[in-house]
Amino acid sequence: MGIASLEGFLTLVCDELGLDCVGAEAASADLADLPGWDSLNLLRLVVLLEEHGRPVPVHRLLQARTLQEIYTFAKE
Amino acid sequence: MTTERAGRMAPAGLTGLDRLRDLRSRGLLEKSYDQVAALLAEETLTHGGNGTSGACGGMGASGASGADGAYGAALRRAGRVLATLDPDAVLAHHPGTPVVTVAVTGQSTVAPVVDPLTAELARHGMLLRPVVGDHGAWLRDLGDPGGPLRSAAADLTLCLLDAEAVFAQVPVPWRPADVEKAAEEVLERLAAIVEAVPGTLVLNTVPLLRRYTHQLVDHLSRVRLSVVWREFNTRLLRLAERSPRLVVVDLEPLVCAGGPAVDERLACYAKAQLSAGLLAGYAREVAHLARALRGMTRKCLVLDLDHTLWDGVLADDGPDGIAAAGTLRGEAFHGFQQGVKQLGAQGVLLAVSSKNDLEAVHDVLRGHPDMVLRERDFVRINADWRPKDRGLTEIAEDLGIAADALVFADDSPVERAQVRHGVPATAVVALDEEPALHLTRLLADGWFDTLRLTDEDRARTDAYHSESGRRALRENAGSHEDFLRGLDLAVELSPPRSHEFARLAQLTRRTNRFNLTGTRMGEDELRERAGAPGRHLLLAVRSSDRFGNDGLVGAVLGHYDGDRLHLDNLWLSCRVLARGIEQACVAAVLAAARDEGLTAVHAVYRPTARNERARDFYPSCGFTVATQDSHDRDTITFGYVLDKVPRHPAHVRIDRIELGRGAGGHR
Repeated sequence: MGIASLEGFLTLVCDELGLDCVGAEAASADLADLPGWDSLNLLRLVVLLEEHGRPVPVHRLLQARTLQEIYTFAKE
Repeated sequence: MTTERAGRMAPAGLTGLDRLRDLRSRGLLEKSYDQVAALLAEETLTHGGNGTSGACGGMGASGASGADGAYGAALRRAGRVLATLDPDAVLAHHPGTPVVTVAVTGQSTVAPVVDPLTAELARHGMLLRPVVGDHGAWLRDLGDPGGPLRSAAADLTLCLLDAEAVFAQVPVPWRPADVEKAAEEVLERLAAIVEAVPGTLVLNTVPLLRRYTHQLVDHLSRVRLSVVWREFNTRLLRLAERSPRLVVVDLEPLVCAGGPAVDERLACYAKAQLSAGLLAGYAREVAHLARALRGMTRKCLVLDLDHTLWDGVLADDGPDGIAAAGTLRGEAFHGFQQGVKQLGAQGVLLAVSSKNDLEAVHDVLRGHPDMVLRERDFVRINADWRPKDRGLTEIAEDLGIAADALVFADDSPVERAQVRHGVPATAVVALDEEPALHLTRLLADGWFDTLRLTDEDRARTDAYHSESGRRALRENAGSHEDFLRGLDLAVELSPPRSHEFARLAQLTRRTNRFNLTGTRMGEDELRERAGAPGRHLLLAVRSSDRFGNDGLVGAVLGHYDGDRLHLDNLWLSCRVLARGIEQACVAAVLAAARDEGLTAVHAVYRPTARNERARDFYPSCGFTVATQDSHDRDTITFGYVLDKVPRHPAHVRIDRIELGRGAGGHR
């Protein structure tokens, strides 16, 4: 499952960041409310999205509040 | 062996990373921590569990540095998974797991080092307990004795320095002289703190970034900045020459191998001044340092021959058909042999495990003009047609070391998989059909890293050859007693000489089987004890026999309490174990203690994973069990009343015994 769908994106993010898997509803939750979230995860996502050919401007990513927002950036 | 290259196949099955994630998702990762090291091994992490596909995976030239490439990327992901574990939960399942407490501080955002460090330590079966300081607060973190970093009593304290450590103090606009002044201040602060930090402190040199050099438009100023910067790094490195508890990791070779040193965006927005790749390489160095501090340094490199040490297959091509010089590929093997010889000159034992006819191998090592490595460079040459795991087990037994002290390097994925399966404790280095990368691959991990090299290290190969002479004597002697009498053993015990402290510290770190409490000591700790001979006893044990001088092989540590002597620990190298030296040492110390007017001796034994066989040592010398420690049930205290002294073994001559109690410190 790739990064093309929200579901695939969430699975990837959970695997890569060592988070307990979240359902689609968690995509709109505030990042700070996700169990096990820490601020370094945003830095990890910078690298991860670049590896998947979906670079997002770093300052935008660092200001994101939800996984849904990040997914939207990555799709742009 | 080229003949087995057909064993390469497409990646199949789950990779180690898949299995880690699966264990985590099922909540079984803490319980399965004892399997993690095997899952993280290079070829199992990235290419599925059977390991037979290792040489054809994504290990391009960049992957040869180990911390980068496909393996590096997978290890980074594994580190993230493992860093989510609760160390206490792991310990609840596996209480014997070696824990390394690492305090991390630095100039900028340092937390990103935790994931790679978790993974690198897990590769060696160790468990990281990280204590991470505040952003940019290294001066306070290291300087405040009551702060969380200092009170963590860390085994290792990492202070990650980056260019900002200096440039944060430099005004804008600036000249090289401003940088020089700021660098001077940083050095002064560091020098003042180094001695106060408990445990081992790790600093690093700082790469000079183009972002700074090219803010200067004239070449003369750039040269000046480069000089100032090199001097800063040189003086940092010099600090480590002075202090045995300080290690400075030089980042320059890591940047050269992997680069870039920084991701400018993350540096700007997140104050992460060192790139993920650089931190991964750094974490690998630190994990090997942790191994060295725990006495886990590997001792022997076991090498395949065909396509590992030379080009060609001896059994097929004959001695004239193989090359290790004179041809394009031959020169690459030549370079590898030179690198291996360099390791051998520093105490790494070299051995051969090859599927070949023994006599043909001896002929090549004796007479082939291309060879850098000769018969005498190897302590064991195993060449036969049996499975290699059996050969490796025999090599370990012959040398008197454990299988986890071996590193095995082979170009054949089939042989590697067989060894990994049969002798899982042995580290396996994957070489392939590109000999120009052999040395880089071998050195990607610092398997043989140690803190200080000693004269004993440099003479180790000779010492093992002497051991062969002893073996011949043993085989020809009628009985074990005849053998011991024939050795003509001589021992001397006295306070350590000033040049012996590095070797003593190393001995306490490397000795496992006859380390009666498991204690390991640093050089400065030992010097402190030796500096107070009225209160403490510290003796170096040196031995020799008719086959050679073994040098410093043991140590006795104790303290005085009124008219009693407490033996806090004994160490004796496994090289000379079971020849009566240990009994002779105790008998000599007891006799000397009685001559000093002491009345009793207490001694302590604390079991570890490796010293079980020494449990009855003190009783065998006439000690009686005094107590079992109420706090620590495993610890046993023994007593000996000095109204008599034990007879020392007749075949060991004590040339000298000097407690040094009245002396004014070490000489």
